[in-house]
Amino acid sequence: MDRLEREIVDLLPRLRRLARVLARDVADADDLVQLTVERALLRRGQWRPGTRLHSWMFRIMKNAWIDEARARSRRAAILSPEEEAQHIGSDGAAAMEERLEARAVEDAMARLPEDQRLAVALVLVEGLSYKEAAEVLEVPQGTLTSRLGRGRAALLADLQETTA
Amino acid sequence: MTDRLTAYVDGELDADARRAFEAELAADPGLAAQVAAHRTLRTRLSAAYRPVLEEAVPMRLELSARAANDRARSPRAAVWAAMAASLVVGVLAGRFALAPEPPVAVGADLPARTELARALDRQLAAEPGVVRIGLTFRDTQGRYCRTFQSPADRLAGLACRGPERWRVVTATAWSPTAEPEYRTAASATPPEVLAAVDRALAGEALDRRQETAARDAGWR
Repeated sequence: MDRLEREIVDLLPRLRRLARVLARDVADADDLVQLTVERALLRRGQWRPGTRLHSWMFRIMKNAWIDEARARSRRAAILSPEEEAQHIGSDGAAAMEERLEARAVEDAMARLPEDQRLAVALVLVEGLSYKEAAEVLEVPQGTLTSRLGRGRAALLADLQETTA
Repeated sequence: MTDRLTAYVDGELDADARRAFEAELAADPGLAAQVAAHRTLRTRLSAAYRPVLEEAVPMRLELSARAANDRARSPRAAVWAAMAASLVVGVLAGRFALAPEPPVAVGADLPARTELARALDRQLAAEPGVVRIGLTFRDTQGRYCRTFQSPADRLAGLACRGPERWRVVTATAWSPTAEPEYRTAASATPPEVLAAVDRALAGEALDRRQETAARDAGWR
C-alpha cells in the first residue's frame, strides 16, 4: 500500500458516514463508498499531496452520487416497518431511545432537498468550513451558506416537536 | 442576523466579529436562546451519525482502497492483494508433532476427522490454528473453495467442498520457513496453488462476512 491508499483506508469511516447521509440504506451507502474509492484511485494523479484528502474525496463522492442517482431509480428513502423492527430489535431501552432519536434526525434529513442535505452534512455533520464545503460542492460560498441556512431552518422546524 | 448567528455557531466569524456578537449575546436572552437552539441542532446531527464512525469497516471497502490499482492491471491481482492485506501469517517454528493421519490425497475426499478437514470446515481466514486458511471463494461450478497451508502435512493447496466432504484439488509440498518476521499469506502461498485458484475462481473472493455466513451455512 502506498501513502494515498493508507490515508484512504483511514478516511473510510468518514466516507461511510457521509455516504449514509446520502443513501440511508447501509449496503447502498457502502456501494457509494466503494465507487468513490475506486474513482479516487483511478484519478490519483489529480490529487495534490498536501491538500485535504477528505475534501477531494467528498467531492468525488458527491459527483458519484449524482451520477448514480441519475442512472438508477433510487430505493425508497423510508425503511419498511420490518427493517425498522430489526434496527431497534434486541437493544436495551436506552439504546432504543438513542436509535429512535437518530431516526428522527435521519428522517428530517431525508425530507430536505438534496442540495440542502449535502450542505448540512458537510458543515454540521462533517465539520467542514464554509470554504471547504463550497469547494466540495463546487459552488460559490454564498450558495453554500444559503443552502445551509434553508436546510437548517427546515430541520429546526421539523425537529422542534421531537426534541428529546 | 441569522447569517451572523449561524456563522457564529459554525465558528466562521473572525475574532473581532465574534467578540462583538458575544457582547450582543450577553445582552439579549432571545438571541441566546436562538444560539442554543442552533447548537442543539448541531449536537443532534452529529450524535445521530456518529455511530457510523464506530462501525467496523467492511472488508470489501478496505480492499477496494488497497487493490483498485492492481485491478486495473489484472482482474485477478485484486485477489492477491486481498490475501496480502487480510492475512498475516505468523512465523511457524517448524516444530510440529507429526500427526498420525493418512497423507492428503489429491482428487480424493478428505476424511472428516482430519485436522485439515476440521480447519476447512470451521476456521476463518487468518485465524490461528495448526492449519492456516487463506482465501475462500466460489469456483466456476459454484462450490466453495479454500486455500490452506498445513505444516503438519507439509502441504499447501486448494480444497473445494463437494456434497459431503472437502476434496483437495491441488496440493504442493510446502513447509513454513523460519524467517524471523511476519509475512503475508499471499507470499507464503506457492505459485502452483495461486495458479489453481486463478483457474477455478469465479468472481471475487469472499469477504469476512460472506466467509462466516458460508461456514455457518455448512458450505452449502
